[in-house]
Amino acid sequence: MHTCKVPPLPKLRLYRINTGSCNGCDVELAATEAITRFGLDRLGLSFTADPTQADLVLITGPLTVSSREKVLAEYAEVPDPKITVLIGVCPISGGAFRDSYAVVAPLDEFVPVDLNIPGCPPRPQAIVAGIAKAVQLWRGGEHPPVSPGPEEGSLTENLRGRMRYRAEACVGCRICQHVCAGGAIRFDEEEAGLGFTLWHNSCLFCGMCSHYCPTGALAPTREWDLAHRQAEKYRQVEKGVVPRIPCSACGVPMLPVVPELMKKGYRALSAETARLQTLCSECRQVRSLEGVKRCTT
Amino acid sequence: MSRTVITLGPRQLGLEEPMYFRVQTAGDRVAGLEVLAGQVHRGLEHLTLKRNFYQNITLLERLCSLCSNSHPSTFCTALEELAGMVVPPRAEYLRAVADEIKRIASHLFNCAVVAHIVGEHALFRRVMELRETVQQTKEAIYGNRMDLAANCIGGVRYDLDAGRVGYLKSQLEGLKAPLEELYRVFADDPALAAATVGVGVLTREQAQAFGVVGPVARAAGIDYDVREKSPYGAYDRLSFQVAVQAAGDVRARALVRLVEARQAVSLIEQCLDQLPEGPVALMSFPEIPAGEVIAKSEAPRGELIYYLRTDGTDLPVRLKWRVPSYPNWAALGEMLKGEPVSRIPLIVNSIDPCISCTDR
Amino acid sequence: MHDVEATVARVLEGVLGAQRGEPAWRRDAKGGMSGWYRLGNPEEIPMVARALAGLEARLSMVSAYLVPSPQNAIGREIAYHFDLDGSTLTLTLELPLEGARVPSLTQVYRNADWQEREFRELYDIEVLGHPNPGRLFVDRSLEPALFERLIPYSTFINGANGERLWREVQAAQEEVAP
Ligand code: SF4
Ligand code: SF4
Repeated sequence: MHTCKVPPLPKLRLYRINTGSCNGCDVELAATEAITRFGLDRLGLSFTADPTQADLVLITGPLTVSSREKVLAEYAEVPDPKITVLIGVCPISGGAFRDSYAVVAPLDEFVPVDLNIPGCPPRPQAIVAGIAKAVQLWRGGEHPPVSPGPEEGSLTENLRGRMRYRAEACVGCRICQHVCAGGAIRFDEEEAGLGFTLWHNSCLFCGMCSHYCPTGALAPTREWDLAHRQAEKYRQVEKGVVPRIPCSACGVPMLPVVPELMKKGYRALSAETARLQTLCSECRQVRSLEGVKRCTT
Repeated sequence: MSRTVITLGPRQLGLEEPMYFRVQTAGDRVAGLEVLAGQVHRGLEHLTLKRNFYQNITLLERLCSLCSNSHPSTFCTALEELAGMVVPPRAEYLRAVADEIKRIASHLFNCAVVAHIVGEHALFRRVMELRETVQQTKEAIYGNRMDLAANCIGGVRYDLDAGRVGYLKSQLEGLKAPLEELYRVFADDPALAAATVGVGVLTREQAQAFGVVGPVARAAGIDYDVREKSPYGAYDRLSFQVAVQAAGDVRARALVRLVEARQAVSLIEQCLDQLPEGPVALMSFPEIPAGEVIAKSEAPRGELIYYLRTDGTDLPVRLKWRVPSYPNWAALGEMLKGEPVSRIPLIVNSIDPCISCTDR
Repeated sequence: MHDVEATVARVLEGVLGAQRGEPAWRRDAKGGMSGWYRLGNPEEIPMVARALAGLEARLSMVSAYLVPSPQNAIGREIAYHFDLDGSTLTLTLELPLEGARVPSLTQVYRNADWQEREFRELYDIEVLGHPNPGRLFVDRSLEPALFERLIPYSTFINGANGERLWREVQAAQEEVAP
């Protein structure tokens, strides 16, 4: 009988650095470590408290002015080659704390980063899936990634994962941008219309934008495995353009009024509301006044 | 006796978060303590002045993940008070549900850490497993295991239909026996008792002098719980007995938390049974007039107080808050005095200190 | 609860005299009491604090801030918040923008220590008689009195760092675009 002995892969060691986090990512890392079901063990990984013994560095939190020196010294103790993984949007973009006098995130300005695991905080399954990709990087890609463990006991229908945007439902009111603590949403006046960009690496997955969105143009999806290579960092976006159309009466370019909003205003859509949708606000006013006149005479 | 000064970091202190201590020792005993804070200082109070009220709800939820619901709900209460809004009753109950579910998870995490430090590794895993039930429940209902995103000005932004009420009830049912059992372990297990009884004592007088709050105060015999002293939200319609212990030691603190975790289960059940019909929030964009206001709540670690000053715009003039861990740090010096240096990590974790809350 | 008003009035009268008036008390939506009182000068705060300590009041928090707003400050205030068995009494002290000085309460309340160190490092306020007035949370490399120096931001919602990251996002989009 022919047996092919595959030598077991050496165990990789993980080292954690907290640069000033809210402790969300750290507490979830502790759970990821303690609960075998999440499968870190299956990936052949274990944690070490000794930086000189580590192969992978997991970093949480927005680098603070006070922690910077200690963090960088600690990081330097991990021997090269190493794989650096950022957990949560804090180290990736500064998250909620960007632009504070006390925060110097993002971390990639200080250390070379290999992989980002967005989330605020990412669920343990997302952390493990991300680390699996990091392990693949370490092992040179010959080993297929380990599939995430089964979702025992989790109900994920309400999960606040990656946000999704539908330009066709957007009225350009920008309320989402107003309520967004992550500074994750941008509107740009573009030739084709109003451009919308949401950068997932700045998003706190709080759902405030979708809560206040009057038309449901923004909504969370259940997509939670958002880990990506550093080179992809700035490409993690949700984009759309609300096209301008000429007003059917005066021809001035305008943002169309979407059916979602008309439904809110008029309860039922009719030929009359459909006509209103194609009018700019001024022409709409003129038409409504005509209606008033009709009613009063 | 030899006197030295040693510096201890998060690793030696057994903390998830970076905090440093300068400890004076006499022989192998602690003689004095200086807490060196600031590693997690993110300038949050300053940042809140540059963010509007809506952004601040999410920002404050990122102050600390363990009491993440207490901050936005207390902040919203302050805004609602200023605006003279009467929050719909259903929203009040739903806020209490969110707060209490966070309390269970927070207390269990501390309980796990304490078990870990005293070397009870099987117990540590058991508590973490139990906590997973709570984590899964939060994720199923709110969409995230730590940050619930439950609050908005004027109420909450989630609702429980019959299906979710049923799910929540069955999850709570599953917590009851293990929580009971856990309480018994911390109360009776001889090994745990040897490690925790008479350790890190804070007397009632000391507790009063340092103005400590929460389980640390209640474990020293101070009968104070904001939910009972100045009820907010739905708490004036919920019944529970303030958990008080007399010994003021590590064990007493653990027992207060475990009693509160059991009570939290009952409080959520009461909420679900009483849950009134109606809207879960008032109108979306209320006007917040100029003024100043205080709002308080009982966060997992104790009294949380917010002071908000406004000028009629939607940015705060000043938003100041004092977290429960804040006064508790200073009392640590008393708890550690004369204790063997080897007990520092246990005693420190027995106050369930939150560094991200403290440093802000 | 109802006699907290009378008790506080009596104590304030004992320390400051009768002609000064009583705190304004408000009840919140749930009946929780908060009292608001303005002090005359910094010397009054330790006197009143001592009397409140006699009532077993707890020093709950101290809030310093600029008035009327951080952007156009013409003055400053410190609000000392005390807990009286569930009710909150706030004593407000007006201070000048230049040369603000307050006596430390650490002799009366041990937990005043951190509160005072904190407002001292964030604002231009000197604390007289503090046992350990060094930096507490703010790194030594940062400027003192940050709440006074950094407030007039031209862009307050998306600061400089955010702008730079957004340029990167934009650049990455242009790369991807055909
Ligand atoms: S990413 Fe979110 S959960 Fe993680 S440390 Fe930052 S604020 Fe906390
Ligand atoms: S979920 Fe929406 S509001 Fe919240 S941070 Fe992300 S983009 Fe901003």
